Amino acid sequence: MASFEQLKLTFFDECAEGMQQIEQGLSDMREGLGSDDTINAVFRAVHSVKGGAGIFGFESLVGFAHVFETTLDAVRRGDLAATTDVIDVLLASSDVLSDLVQISRAGEAIPVGFGDETRVALENLLGNDSAGNEEAPSDFDGLDFVPVRADASDSDDMSDFDGIEFTPVMADAFADGQRSFEIAFSPNADMLLNGSDPLLLLRQLRQLGELELSAVTDRLPDLQSLRPEIAYLSWTGTLRTEATREQLQDIFDFVGDCEITITEVGAGAAEPAMGGCAASQLPVVDAAPPMAPVAAFAPLQAAMTVDSTPQIVKPIAPPQGSRTSGGAAPAEKATRPAKPQATTTRIELEKIDRVVNMVGELVIAQAMLGQIVHDLPEGVSDRLTQILDEVVHHTRELKDGLMSMRAQAVGSVFQRMPRLVRETAIKVGKKIRLELAGETTEVDRSIIERLTDPLTHIIRNSVDHGIEAPDVRIAAGKSEEGTIRLSAEHRGGRIVIEVSDDGGGINTEKVLQKAREKGLVGADAVLTEDEINNLIMMPGFSTADVVSDISGRGVGMDVVKTNIQEVGGRLSLQSVRGKGTTIQFALPLTLAVMDGMVIKVGRETYVMPMSMIVECLRPPRSHINNLVGTRGVLQLRGDLVPLVYLGDLLDIGSAADLSGECVVIITDAGDGTRLGLVADELCGHQQVVVKSIEESYGPVPGVAAATILGNGSVALILDVEKLSDLASDSSSTVMAQMGNSLAKVA
Amino acid sequence: MPNAVALKVLVVDDQESVRKMTAMTLEQLGIRHIHEAENGKKAMEIASLQPIDLILSDYYMDEMDGLDLLRAVRGHPVVRRVPFILLTGRGDRELVVKAAQAGVNNYLIKPFTAQVLRQKIEQVMGKLS
Repeated sequence: MASFEQLKLTFFDECAEGMQQIEQGLSDMREGLGSDDTINAVFRAVHSVKGGAGIFGFESLVGFAHVFETTLDAVRRGDLAATTDVIDVLLASSDVLSDLVQISRAGEAIPVGFGDETRVALENLLGNDSAGNEEAPSDFDGLDFVPVRADASDSDDMSDFDGIEFTPVMADAFADGQRSFEIAFSPNADMLLNGSDPLLLLRQLRQLGELELSAVTDRLPDLQSLRPEIAYLSWTGTLRTEATREQLQDIFDFVGDCEITITEVGAGAAEPAMGGCAASQLPVVDAAPPMAPVAAFAPLQAAMTVDSTPQIVKPIAPPQGSRTSGGAAPAEKATRPAKPQATTTRIELEKIDRVVNMVGELVIAQAMLGQIVHDLPEGVSDRLTQILDEVVHHTRELKDGLMSMRAQAVGSVFQRMPRLVRETAIKVGKKIRLELAGETTEVDRSIIERLTDPLTHIIRNSVDHGIEAPDVRIAAGKSEEGTIRLSAEHRGGRIVIEVSDDGGGINTEKVLQKAREKGLVGADAVLTEDEINNLIMMPGFSTADVVSDISGRGVGMDVVKTNIQEVGGRLSLQSVRGKGTTIQFALPLTLAVMDGMVIKVGRETYVMPMSMIVECLRPPRSHINNLVGTRGVLQLRGDLVPLVYLGDLLDIGSAADLSGECVVIITDAGDGTRLGLVADELCGHQQVVVKSIEESYGPVPGVAAATILGNGSVALILDVEKLSDLASDSSSTVMAQMGNSLAKVA
Repeated sequence: MPNAVALKVLVVDDQESVRKMTAMTLEQLGIRHIHEAENGKKAMEIASLQPIDLILSDYYMDEMDGLDLLRAVRGHPVVRRVPFILLTGRGDRELVVKAAQAGVNNYLIKPFTAQVLRQKIEQVMGKLS
């Protein structure tokens, strides 16, 4: 059995899901997409948080949740209208609740007065009459609930039932044994509308003895014209009971809208219909506590025969529609459909990571096996090759399965953004809505963790600098509310995240001016609009200097770009003055496994990420012009591509000298410029398991990571972008330095 | 005089943490056979297939709430006699009243201690041994 601490963690996980439901539900309601189900789901979620908080001892959480829950209850009962203002208070409450949960989860003390403003807003909505009861009763006062004893035996022995009151009265004034009554019960069409429920009446009849009923469905129309609030059914049947006629009639005493005929069988003339007398409509559904003792519940000992009533009675809809579960009446406006629930289980991430590691080793071992088989003489290896192919196939499937276990929907990162936009927009006084798309797009856990920071910065920028103030927008003929669209999709083996806004676009004049001031561009350099836009990603260009100072932390786009590139991703930006800005970044789907091209430089083997390779060729000598030293230029379909000899860059004796054959790998340096890296041999394209070496060696410029090849040897995975930088840096000391650190590793 | 060790209890609540806490509390009373369900519908499935001696159910659940479960139990030819205790939050008087009408045997306010749980169970089933 799990420990208390583990259950506490489970509770916080539940809270996380719950908070998400609350926020989503309230957002839907604000957009007009909410239904009865929505408010119920939000209410339930807050109730659950409150309940769990009580169990695990987070009292202040309980306090706030209680007020929140009470307000939500008022909304779902219809006592409080869900206007935009009201929903905004609820959304703010959701934020406070979320913060309280986080603080409690971290085990910290809740600051004095935290959330008070919002709590007061909630209490105001409630009209200040409830929200009191901080005291936790362990029992309800004044509730005449007498617990029913459930005896295991089937006996009718009444002596066990001390202190239990049954209604209708069974004890006194029984006549001589059993009687049979024929009963005809016919509700008027509007009986349900007046709050009476035939089902409860029939149940009370059933309590008196053996009841056999059949329903008369003559008045039942076809489904299209059926109105659930109209009572169409009536019943006839027989009741064998020891009760008197008066007791039977008592059941129907306060029910006006029906016709009821009770005829005693074999006891003389039928008595005429009695129904429709009481002036006061006491709805049977509602037990008014001050009046009858509440202990009117089914005695478990009564001999109740199985009757067909439950099935027949089902078609009647209970008078108040909203609280019953299942089969909600079709909504009149479009509602967000409930997401199908998948069966899930909780696993510690460590366990998955360990298995992923194991499979990584398996892949390597299998590659080694493949190598050996490859080298065997013909004929010997046929069967072996066949089996090995199967092993390869299974291993690949195993690896794919595991990677999908590690895959998470980006929605988990996206879901924090609406709140970020809400809060930042309020701070800067703008009206902004956030649209999300592609939340279900999945990506490896290792990437998910790297998404939050860049995304947060980009979106904050958009709110702060992108979208204009409401009056500015109106003056420009735009809607008062700006839109930011956040989307994710799989494209070309990567995940592409796009943030686009319909704001004012990048102010190219200001940017150019700042860049000149900071010496990032020459005073008279002429740049295209695109080039100016991309200036904001240069190191040293802080957003705090552009337009406003509000996001003033000075974390610029350059840091964002670096973060993304470190992970092997790319960032691009387009902006149109007056129309808006779009920022796109593409990330690999996982950091754990990579498509690589194995190459040889001299006697060393390296791996290059396929994602960086544009094409590989063996160009004829005539196309290569050698310039200074070991740099060259390649003529490629009319363009000139600079060449860099990897042998030199990596400080290895290379066979690829000026006369021999060589392999050129064209890479894209990320900003569109091409670079040709010259190697000695292309060994093939394969999936490699990426193993980080940073822990052992620290970051090595030019080397991203390492992997183990099929022959068991270690190959370094080259960081192509860094190599390009190093190549363009003509300082030989840098290269020597690189050579030294690489010598350590190799 | 039910024997705690032999009792089979069904705990119904949509929150796993609450279910497990309730189960832990039941274990403190010596009860060993504990079934769990996350809503009324799943609870009915279990109750109609397994021998169940007691049902502890929350009210607010998706798919079929506690009251509907109670009614379904009371209407089921085999299961109707099973003792049913409703778990409620503080301030839920209305709910207890409604549940009483529908045939509940007792109620418990969350959060509850093992002593209170024992008390309420014994009120319905007799002294636990």
